[in-house]
Amino acid sequence: MITFSLNGDSVSFKGDPNTPLLWVIRDDFKLKGSKFGCGAGLCGACTMHLDGAAIKTCVLPVAAAANKKVTTIEGLGNPEALHPLQAAWVKHNVPQCGYCQSGQIMAAAALIADKPDASSDDIDQAMSGNICRCGCYPRIKAAIASVADNSQSYDATAVEATS
Amino acid sequence: MSGQSLSRRHFLKTSGMVGGGIVVAVALPGCAFNGPHPIEVTDAGFIPNAFLQIAPDNKITFYCPSDEMGQGIRTGLATIIGEELDVDPANMLVQAAGSHEDYNNPEFRVQGTGGSNAVRVFYQPLRQVGADTRALLLNAAALDLGIPSEQLLTDDGFIVAGDRRYPYGDFVDTASSLEMPVATSLKAPSNFQYIGADAPRVDALAKATGTASFGIDTDLPGMVYAVVVRPPVAGSKALKFDDSAARIAPGVLDIVAVSSGIAVVAERYWQAHQAAKKLTVDWEKRPLSSVTSTQVRQDLSAALEANDDTESSHVGDPEKAFAEADRILETDYYAPFLAHAPMEPLNATLRITENGADLWTGVQFVGAAQGVLERLTGLPRGDIKIHNQFLGGGFGRRATLSHIVEVAEIAMSIDKPVQLLWSREDDLRHGFYRPAAMMKIKAAADNEGRITAWQARRSGANITAQTMKNALPGVLPSLPTGLLNGLVGAMDYVFDNWAVDASSVEGLHETYSLPSYRVSHASVDHGLPTTFWRSVGHSYTSFAVESMMDELAEARQIDPVALRLKNLEDKPRMKNVVAQAGRLMAAMTVPEHHHLGFAAHSSFGTDVAQIAQVSVTDGNIRVHKVTCVVDCGLAVNPDIVRAQLEGAVMFALTATLYGQIDLDDGAVVQSNFHNYPILRMNESPAVDVVIINSQTPPTGIGEPGVPPLAPAVANAVYRATGQRLRDLPLKLA
Repeated sequence: MITFSLNGDSVSFKGDPNTPLLWVIRDDFKLKGSKFGCGAGLCGACTMHLDGAAIKTCVLPVAAAANKKVTTIEGLGNPEALHPLQAAWVKHNVPQCGYCQSGQIMAAAALIADKPDASSDDIDQAMSGNICRCGCYPRIKAAIASVADNSQSYDATAVEATS
Repeated sequence: MSGQSLSRRHFLKTSGMVGGGIVVAVALPGCAFNGPHPIEVTDAGFIPNAFLQIAPDNKITFYCPSDEMGQGIRTGLATIIGEELDVDPANMLVQAAGSHEDYNNPEFRVQGTGGSNAVRVFYQPLRQVGADTRALLLNAAALDLGIPSEQLLTDDGFIVAGDRRYPYGDFVDTASSLEMPVATSLKAPSNFQYIGADAPRVDALAKATGTASFGIDTDLPGMVYAVVVRPPVAGSKALKFDDSAARIAPGVLDIVAVSSGIAVVAERYWQAHQAAKKLTVDWEKRPLSSVTSTQVRQDLSAALEANDDTESSHVGDPEKAFAEADRILETDYYAPFLAHAPMEPLNATLRITENGADLWTGVQFVGAAQGVLERLTGLPRGDIKIHNQFLGGGFGRRATLSHIVEVAEIAMSIDKPVQLLWSREDDLRHGFYRPAAMMKIKAAADNEGRITAWQARRSGANITAQTMKNALPGVLPSLPTGLLNGLVGAMDYVFDNWAVDASSVEGLHETYSLPSYRVSHASVDHGLPTTFWRSVGHSYTSFAVESMMDELAEARQIDPVALRLKNLEDKPRMKNVVAQAGRLMAAMTVPEHHHLGFAAHSSFGTDVAQIAQVSVTDGNIRVHKVTCVVDCGLAVNPDIVRAQLEGAVMFALTATLYGQIDLDDGAVVQSNFHNYPILRMNESPAVDVVIINSQTPPTGIGEPGVPPLAPAVANAVYRATGQRLRDLPLKLA
């Protein structure tokens, strides 16, 4: 049995420890905000935070999350209490189809937590693992830059502490 | 509507809408109709329906008839109906319409989304529904308040009487007893409040919080998961298979042969995915089984050399004009097969009970999905409900039905709700593709740059017949299979021998005023399934035409923009777009080693010019910035127009630099994003968009930004390197 923290709640998984974390979160814990895009760690649609770091979970065995803190888009913020990046996403009209955006936001949130004053190059580098087929890149970049400009830091562990 | 008709209340209830209020419904003349307020819409091309519900608590719901795949259509159509209803689209609840013929696309006559037509075809009808409904509410308020309706105003969901404001919802009971006004006069565009203004997308918040529901997010009690192992070569049937190892794999519930392959059903997706690797299948050989990409290219060239084309259209006498020309250019351009690769892999969730069937998915072709389930399950159409979700990308890929057929075959075998999910490998290897195209352009221009003769020929597979092959079982669900096969065969025959599929040659001459031209086509189909891919034929024809325009300009030593302007005499809208873009380009200063390339193309009623700023370092092409000038008529939401151009640039740049589906022994070589790369942020250009101010009715915007990009980049690369690249994707020697 594998136990980990999911958005602040302690949860346990009894199935195959090689199951990718993405499928455990989606199919067993029924949190559907994190998406399946490639199954090979190439597109970033499945990005979550593992102890605050952005991780592609479609290739991460759930066993690797044992005793760690997993944060999904649902734990980052919600429509009533938006993370600053989510507010920026709405303000910049970022999403088109929207499918990749949970992963984009999680990757961006880890960057902003690490580098609150992320530069344009920092943003390019941190976000180049996340594909957007609709091509929302200029707006994703503008939204992240607007939060970086505001120097609003995000503490990836805060969600654990407050829940 | 016949016996398949549902009562209005039943229909809306089963669409997930319950509660009081009025339902605004409009019906075709002569149709059985049970709604409370039938009105007759005079626009003969429109098949009207129920679009609005206004609840007593003033919750105003708009049932959007078009599928949201990122193009912003829920926002766009809510803006259009909201303008005349006088409700801010931000204050409406916008939902996907259920499946019902009243939601048919007025042009397609079936419920579906594509061809960049939704805003154009719904612009007038939805304004009328909004205006008539507002007039009805004013009449009801006049009765209830005892104030003549002429003395009442409306404002964002409220009736305004002097300094009092009353929610629309206050008057729904009275409104329910009144006759719906018809043909209410519409606002003058100068009075528009929401149309033409930048506004937030109605789906932005859901998509920024992971709460937007896509087909893949469907989760039903007792649901099981399925994957399908498909043949490496499209259309092959399984000769025999060994499922003994797969059957005993963890979680596996069943193994089912379906028409496209072998389905593995398990308690969880991951279990099905793992077990599928344990299947061994012998597949039959097909003619396609020996085809390689090299052969495709050779066959397409040979077809043009054979000079046995079918004419699509001509004007004047191009042969005579060529005979009189002092200089003729003749050049081949090539574009490969491409995959759509929407971010959400295809999926469908189907539950069949004694009461009917419910399908949760994201499709661009709701009507055909419903029809194909009618055909396969034998259930009455009215008992089949399509719960269309947000589409995680479409680009044409979600107008096909093979995954709907698969999930139906699986669900009928196992008697449980089932979710079918394709992997990325399935998506890239077993899809429907933008066909490869060889184009030979022969052109002559006089020494002032005016084109005197133009011949454009294309060889390759057609799209329409193949797409219809896939869609017809759903579009004509009651047509017997024998007749259906006959119809599809006849269509193939027609396009192979008599007529040209318009999708195959669109864009080969239309952008310019040509005094003489001939467009013709040679069909060459190797059997790889094809379908519409964002901007369809324009996606390759623009590359040939706009590269040739620069080649002509060079041959005549004329500025490329000036040459284009010389050939737009009776195309005032495009002429203005090119002129404005040309002025922007002339004023641009670029860093050393950066070069500008220009292209323009007209598609889906919209005119677009693009200027690509490019550098080439060590053989690597880098696009730094793309400036777009667009005339799409009235921009309903200018910010969404900008977003569509930005996105189209990225989508097209992926195809320009990387896009290539190869065949080896008939099988698609590419399998995931490592060998079918998609442009990433660190490679993405800045995009500037200039929207021409226009009051003419809106035209398409989802696709027209794609076609000019590849030739704009190729033209810039030529300036940077002196290499004229005539093959996509662009690769320097």
